[in-house]
Amino acid sequence: MGNQADAEDVVQEAYVKAYRALTSGEFDRRSSTNTWLYRIVVNGAIDAKRSRKRRAESSDEQVDPGWDGAGFAESRLALSELDDWLRTLPADQRAALVLQSMEGLNNTEIAKIMGVSEGAVEQRLVRARATLRQMRQKEEQS
Amino acid sequence: MTNQEDIELRLARLSGASDALRPSAGFSARVMFAIEREAAPSFLETTWFSARRLLPVAAIAAAMAVVWAVQVDGTVDDELATSYASMELE
Repeated sequence: MGNQADAEDVVQEAYVKAYRALTSGEFDRRSSTNTWLYRIVVNGAIDAKRSRKRRAESSDEQVDPGWDGAGFAESRLALSELDDWLRTLPADQRAALVLQSMEGLNNTEIAKIMGVSEGAVEQRLVRARATLRQMRQKEEQS
Repeated sequence: MTNQEDIELRLARLSGASDALRPSAGFSARVMFAIEREAAPSFLETTWFSARRLLPVAAIAAAMAVVWAVQVDGTVDDELATSYASMELE
């Protein structure tokens, strides 16, 4: 998400949506609770990132990549570095890569979370890595 | 080291380094507050719920009122009929 406050907003909204779905019986239990919660969070994060991008474009504001608050400096720096590094990737490729590399999920689980086929997940991961490789090559050349 | 290995190593390093990241203080309370606000019924929901619970009592009260009204009406008719009859005799 780029900063912790936005990430927490997304998680909070996901909890509220999950609560609403559970109390209204919308959750049909076809997928595991874990997968279902991941899906809500991932979709919420992608939506929030899109709307934030639109806001930033319309107001010509730059998104602040910095972290607010204190503590966990090393972790925050790592996450900030990750955000800078993956920023150029499209949201779906970025989500697939984070779910695999950071959350340790396999392609089947990622496919269920993102609501796409395993082939589509594989394609997104290949493309994401190809983009990161190209970036690395450009950095080395420059 | 190839580019691919470099990418995987960097992802693994960043994943490990960000493991200790925790939500900010008060985040749990904020989430619970949002859920409780969601769970609290609105004024209309409260009114409807209360009205629904009172409906059987209100129906019984209405039926008893109708029976009482019919009985009272019958008594008045009888009394009026009696007084008219008395007047005719007089």
